[in-house]
Amino acid sequence: MEFLSQTYVALRGPTGAPQTATETVGRLSDRLQPATLLADRRAAVLALKGLSRDCKEDVGTLALPGLLQVLYNDAEVDPDIGKAVLETLDVLCEVEDQKELGFKHTDAVLVTEQPVHSLFALLAESNFYTRFGSLQLLSTLLHNRRQVVQSYFLTAPAGPASVTSSLEDKREIVRNEAISMVQLLVSQSADIQKVLAFEGAFEKLFNIIRGEGGVEGGAVAHEALLCVDGLLRFNSSNQSYFRETGLPPLLPSSLLFPPNLPPDASAPQEFALQFWDEQKLINAKSVVAIIGLLVGSKGYGGQDSPVFARCLIEIALASNAPTTLKTQALHLLPANLNFPLSELIITPYMPVPETNGEEWDRLEAASALDALIELGLNGEYNGMDSARRFVSGLELRTAAVGVFENFVRKEEIKYAITSAMVSSEGNEPTNLPPAPLLQALSMSPETSGPLDHVLVSSTHFASLLFSHLLRSSPRCKNLARSIKPLTASNQPPSDGGNFFVPADGPAPPAAPPPVPVDDEDDDPQTLIQVLAENLSLAFLSRSRTNTSDLESREWDRLIVGYLTLLSQWLWEDPAAVRDFLNSGGLGILVEPINQVSETDFLISSLCVFLLGIMYEYNREPGEITRATISPILNRLGVDTLLGRMSRLREDDRFKNVSPETLVQHYPGSAPHTQALLPEGEVWFDWAFVDFWKSNYYTIQRGLSTDPNQLASASGPSAETAMLIASLQDTLRNQSQEIEDLRRQLQAQQKTPSNEDEISALKSQVSSLRLALQASEEKQKETEKEQEDLLVLLEEVTAKRKRDKKRMLDRGLEVSEDEAEGDDDGGED
Amino acid sequence: MAGISWHYVFKFIITGDAAVGKSSLLIRLTDQRFLANPDPTLGVEFGSKLVTIPEENKVVKLQCWDTAGTESFRSITRSYYRGAAGCLLVYDVTSRKSFLNTRTWLADVRQHADPHLTCILVGNKIDLCQDEPETDQTGSAKSKRQVSVEEAELYAKEEGLLFVESSAKSGLNVERAFEQAARDILDKIHRGAFDDDQSPGVKLSKPATGNTPSNNLSLDASRSRPACCNS
Repeated sequence: MEFLSQTYVALRGPTGAPQTATETVGRLSDRLQPATLLADRRAAVLALKGLSRDCKEDVGTLALPGLLQVLYNDAEVDPDIGKAVLETLDVLCEVEDQKELGFKHTDAVLVTEQPVHSLFALLAESNFYTRFGSLQLLSTLLHNRRQVVQSYFLTAPAGPASVTSSLEDKREIVRNEAISMVQLLVSQSADIQKVLAFEGAFEKLFNIIRGEGGVEGGAVAHEALLCVDGLLRFNSSNQSYFRETGLPPLLPSSLLFPPNLPPDASAPQEFALQFWDEQKLINAKSVVAIIGLLVGSKGYGGQDSPVFARCLIEIALASNAPTTLKTQALHLLPANLNFPLSELIITPYMPVPETNGEEWDRLEAASALDALIELGLNGEYNGMDSARRFVSGLELRTAAVGVFENFVRKEEIKYAITSAMVSSEGNEPTNLPPAPLLQALSMSPETSGPLDHVLVSSTHFASLLFSHLLRSSPRCKNLARSIKPLTASNQPPSDGGNFFVPADGPAPPAAPPPVPVDDEDDDPQTLIQVLAENLSLAFLSRSRTNTSDLESREWDRLIVGYLTLLSQWLWEDPAAVRDFLNSGGLGILVEPINQVSETDFLISSLCVFLLGIMYEYNREPGEITRATISPILNRLGVDTLLGRMSRLREDDRFKNVSPETLVQHYPGSAPHTQALLPEGEVWFDWAFVDFWKSNYYTIQRGLSTDPNQLASASGPSAETAMLIASLQDTLRNQSQEIEDLRRQLQAQQKTPSNEDEISALKSQVSSLRLALQASEEKQKETEKEQEDLLVLLEEVTAKRKRDKKRMLDRGLEVSEDEAEGDDDGGED
Repeated sequence: MAGISWHYVFKFIITGDAAVGKSSLLIRLTDQRFLANPDPTLGVEFGSKLVTIPEENKVVKLQCWDTAGTESFRSITRSYYRGAAGCLLVYDVTSRKSFLNTRTWLADVRQHADPHLTCILVGNKIDLCQDEPETDQTGSAKSKRQVSVEEAELYAKEEGLLFVESSAKSGLNVERAFEQAARDILDKIHRGAFDDDQSPGVKLSKPATGNTPSNNLSLDASRSRPACCNS
């Protein structure tokens, strides 16, 4: 302060003439020149700091360059001037009160990279105010112009090292400021995230988290967890580095879940039952978010993955964690979850009533799949709170349904679950795992008393779960037609807890209440029959005159549950259509289509949709054919029907559904609501909305198609037919081709059979040789014969000669020609 | 989770010109496969591998940061030099230019990195000149090789670098390069160059002293204690 007064005295001068602020600032700025003494500069900076709030603009325009010079040259040398200049610059760049000005000054500071580099260099100083001031100013600059500062950071010589070392500062204030600065610094910059990870930011942050007491720690632990999250999210390189560090197991263990828990061991009680307060919930949510990030990241085949997934499941299904944490855990389970839910045995807990959450009952161990279905059907702690339809509770239930949907995405799992519901007579159906689902689904609505919305919700959620099993799976639909639920017509409403039985409590009183099979029916009804019956009951009750608005809304919700399930079931399943028609489906639907209120089109629109599906897929021979339905459609008026169907789009309950939001606010908050906890309700899930939107057009066309025209001429069936035709074509072509090729092969086998030829030739040669030999022999024989003959001739000639001679001797006439012989003979 | 234990963690950087095969070397080391058509690395990528040094009976975890060779990332990749214990300086034996540039890279590394950093010069892509005679005295015109073994060896000796020729494609000498460097670092540790955890590039597996005494959350300790108590 003395500097300040000195300066003022000096500036005011002897005359004491009044000065404008601008003049003062100008003079002070002149004093920042390096030529003046350090003490003078220090005094000037302090004075400027004092003026910077009130005369922000003047200080900014006149003094900023000088202040930056002080930052470069003096801040390191003199901590006092450093503190002052950092604080002054921070005030100038602040955007809290004068936004434009703050941004202007920020831009002026960030023209070159030098100021930012100096700040990161100052971070390395151990002086408290220098470090703290640099961090604050960096935070302000990052807040205003993040990307510029980030790019300068990457070129700062010792930036990463000084940042991570400031995370280790023993002084809490500095460290906490560093955490919030790092949060800003790493935001959306993969390069900075990686550099800091390389510099050991993970280790430093986890040291902080550990030092603060993990999830039990306060806001600082939360900020540090957010930092870890920021370093990991969308950065696969850092994720794989993080897995290498040995730090991931700290995440589940900070929630007291042992990271090396063998799959068949049960989670410890200190994990399942903890004391929760608000800050702990916030911290735990950050931890769960990071765990979810690691579980969900692509290509994460690490050995931690099953443990992490299990940790999330245990939190959601078998702990006393707050509802929102459970919901988050379920949402974070990846869509392609490869986790054997039905094999994991968990131990759910139930709060002991009237103990304010301080005592808990351990329930019988159950498979995670059962617990998940149970959670969807009845809500948390077996529907303890579902009498009040809190949004948070409903969100947890829809999250459970979502996990179930992902889990049964694999056809074989769907099939296994569905086939477990088809019980043979001897099998006790209540022993089968999905029995509660079936029970809730087939529960017949209470027609006598007022409708209990808890039961409506159970049935509604059951229809959601069940439709996930059937949707686009012909095999499962086929199987589901033979499901025969025990008609649990008189299920005690609030005591649906035959599933959850306190393990350490007294023996469960008649645990699975043997449901008597209706005497009237020899044959138990199939599920479709049950649904049809319940649907018509619901329509009846809804149309009763004495129902209140709220109650008829509940009936509507129940009906929506039935209709959405049936629509998805009957789609592309002519056999199911026939079953439903045989159960009187047509009559049930036509009635509500006919009597429609002017305001509420929801139910009638869904009825038309289902009717359209029935008309479209009515292909099996039966009593009611397309020709039977067509006149009814015409009497109702096809155009009217189409108009009514399309109005579903306008309904808020349908329109507001998105993949993320299923729970909608309950209209007209009931008087008994606690103001803090909003109430909600669930009408549709996204899967149905998606289904409706993709198939609406087909149904629209199908409704106006002539009954004699084959239904397959429209929509996907036409496509299917074409597909089949083209496939047949291909098949034919291919078999033709195969035939051709085979023939070619055979031909080829014949022609180039050189070996055959050679052997044939060889045999020919040998046979020829034999022939030759034979003929040679023959020739020899002939020659010999000839020789013999010659000899004989010789002999004969000799004899003749002798005879001739004798004849001549005897004076006999000798023929002339024989003279020759004479000559010959003469010659001899 | 059981079974993972190591005595030391060494941080490595892989550096050198663009397209000399740095990423391929890393993938070969960590995944035992050849990365046929890698995209140029942006910034840095991480990979890690456990290496056993049999003579010392030590398991070393190599954490490798594969840096971008492209000039535009130079300022980013420099940030990694400081914290590294080992450096693979890679060039391409079929590219003289990449070999000459190793001088610049080395100067860069020397400027920013820990003075005790172990650097190994790696001539990559020798699969491309495998068909020539091993000694390569003739220097035939057809040869794809542009950097002779002798020249590189000499250079390495002058600069005090380790040297090896490798092929990320065939896998030849890849692991050896890392092991050789790791061995050298271990030597330096024994000689006391990396005393009391001064270098951020070398870490003993036990948690640094001064960590929370009540380390109920720390797993490092319990996990690796049995492995390192004899050292």
